[in-house]
Amino acid sequence: MKRILYFATCLLLLSACSNDSDPEADKANFVRIYDSDRYNTSYTPIDIKQTPDGGYLILASRRLDESNFPGTYILKVDDLGAFVSEQLVDEAYVNPIGQLIPLNESYFFFCMEEVNLQTQLVEINTDGEIIQMSNVGGTYPTAATLDGNNFLLLSYDNGNLQTVVSIVNPEGNTLQASAFSVGAGDAVEEPIINHFLRTGRQFPFQVGKTSGGRYFFNGFYNYTFSLVFTDLGSGGLGVVQGQQDDGGITYLAELPGNSFATARFNFGDNYFLPRATLGTTGISSSTDLGGFTLPELVDNAPVKILVSTIKDTDVIVYVSNTKAGQIGIYVYDLASGEFLGSKYLGFSNPYEIGAIINTADDGLAIAGTTYVTGRFPRITLFKISKEELGTIF
Amino acid sequence: MKRLLPVILILLIATIAVGQRKPPPGFKKKVRDQQSSFLDKQWWIGLKIGPNLTKATPDTRYSILTPTNYAQALTDKAYDGFKKLGSQATLEITFNYKGFGFSFQPTYRLSRFTYSNDFTWDNPENAGEMLQLKYEHEQKVDYADLPLIVKYDITGNTLRPYIQAGVFYSMLVNANKTVDISGTDTGSGGTNELSSEPVIVGAKDLFYKGYWGVIAGAGLHYNMGNVRLVLDASYRIGMSNITNTENRFTNDRLAGIGDAFDDMKIDNLVISVGCLFPMRFLSTSFKSIDR
Repeated sequence: MKRILYFATCLLLLSACSNDSDPEADKANFVRIYDSDRYNTSYTPIDIKQTPDGGYLILASRRLDESNFPGTYILKVDDLGAFVSEQLVDEAYVNPIGQLIPLNESYFFFCMEEVNLQTQLVEINTDGEIIQMSNVGGTYPTAATLDGNNFLLLSYDNGNLQTVVSIVNPEGNTLQASAFSVGAGDAVEEPIINHFLRTGRQFPFQVGKTSGGRYFFNGFYNYTFSLVFTDLGSGGLGVVQGQQDDGGITYLAELPGNSFATARFNFGDNYFLPRATLGTTGISSSTDLGGFTLPELVDNAPVKILVSTIKDTDVIVYVSNTKAGQIGIYVYDLASGEFLGSKYLGFSNPYEIGAIINTADDGLAIAGTTYVTGRFPRITLFKISKEELGTIF
Repeated sequence: MKRLLPVILILLIATIAVGQRKPPPGFKKKVRDQQSSFLDKQWWIGLKIGPNLTKATPDTRYSILTPTNYAQALTDKAYDGFKKLGSQATLEITFNYKGFGFSFQPTYRLSRFTYSNDFTWDNPENAGEMLQLKYEHEQKVDYADLPLIVKYDITGNTLRPYIQAGVFYSMLVNANKTVDISGTDTGSGGTNELSSEPVIVGAKDLFYKGYWGVIAGAGLHYNMGNVRLVLDASYRIGMSNITNTENRFTNDRLAGIGDAFDDMKIDNLVISVGCLFPMRFLSTSFKSIDR
């Protein structure tokens, strides 16, 4: 009997060595590539948001056979990254733009009607299903963000050659708008239209509002791709000029204490400025800002910046595309701007950044594009756990 | 429980065999003398080597490539059972007592197992646009096995068949993985047979530090002179997951080709031959194996 007991005890001890999957760990850390078996489709993520059920909504563009503009695609995945549903939005609605904006238990984004180029506001639920679409008016939306219970919209008015900043309510009504001339002539408009047709450089359009109440946009103004601070009135402009369409600000994130984390590009080169003081009034030049140069990044690299917390340290997370075809993550101390560490995602096939967010479990989610088998552009989702982030520094 | 059925069956057969055990021909019960009593107990030590075959069985399946317009099952890995030969070397230490042997057999084992994926991308509107790829994955895993085995000699002749059962714990020593990619591409203007250099990665981090299981088997002892030759066959049923669940997605090279380990258990068919030496003698002239 004793021997049987010993044997049973040994078996129990061995059982304790079991290594079963932990669903929580599976949610915290995963990589997914969302694949279609269609040879000629392509998807490019624009923004990602975590939904209350722990899953993710990804707004993306998709290739259309019958249009020069990219179509609209919405992907819903669960908290494990498993596919839930997709919405191939009617091909009449093209050129979706970020951000995907959460408001009142819905998510909103702007896109454009293909025929008349009119801006549309699309409301979707947490499963990615379209609730309603509203015609906003105006043309060529380029960027949007939340402004209280309304939206800030940056768009290009091709009829008047103007960059327009609008405040739009959730019903799609424009409450206020200010226009800024991009300059006269076809030469200045050409790179803007090429951006929309995806036949030219993709410009890092952005719009937002500082904690001090100043609006800003990153777009074309006075013949130059510039970061412009404005009160949406007639005066008080602050302009950080780029180099026509060859230089400018790549991304702007406000930090506490009237400073900014930003990145800039200049004739292909890229610079990170984890703590920058920008002139929000008057005219200055982005080339005077200096910054850390990153030769490993692709020319005029897209950059996203996120304020986050890793290992109880407030940090600034930069993500961008490397020449090696990886997504580079660069972490800087928020207080000092000191570089803390880096991490690279992807191998074998090329990877490109789409969007980055903090997640409810103190991790990060990064949506990007990867080229499956080196040729098919597909959406990829990296979920990085708090623990894995802790290995960066 | 299903995985334990073979072991229970073998133990049942062993019990029946014990009940049926007959004394060897010409055996006469006699009063045990000191020598006989002494030789009821014997230590054996020796070496065994041989091949093994491995079968991996997935539990929960994982895939990085997540279909949006085709069935998830099409991404499932197809596992090959007992396809690739591995090898092992064993140090056997056995204590025999009245036909029973209590054996500790530390083993260094290389196991190999394979699985494959097939993917197709095509265009229903243009038959010329198609890419078919096959990913063949081979895992080579080194384990240090620590088995505890009970043996029973069915008969006591010079040729002594035995049955055995036990438990083991296997500690991961090293692992690597090779992925061969081949396929056909018709989208480049003609039929292009694709073949690339294999992707070889260190995979130790992808496997858990160890797993446990149960053993059942049988073998033959052949007494030759003062040594014992062994032919041993055992089936080892893995009872715990061999995948390191924390590192499933951490290998960027494998993630890039859409590969993530399933939760899986492995079974091994292990065959060994070897030689055992007795450790206890009454005198230098005594043939311990005659007992």
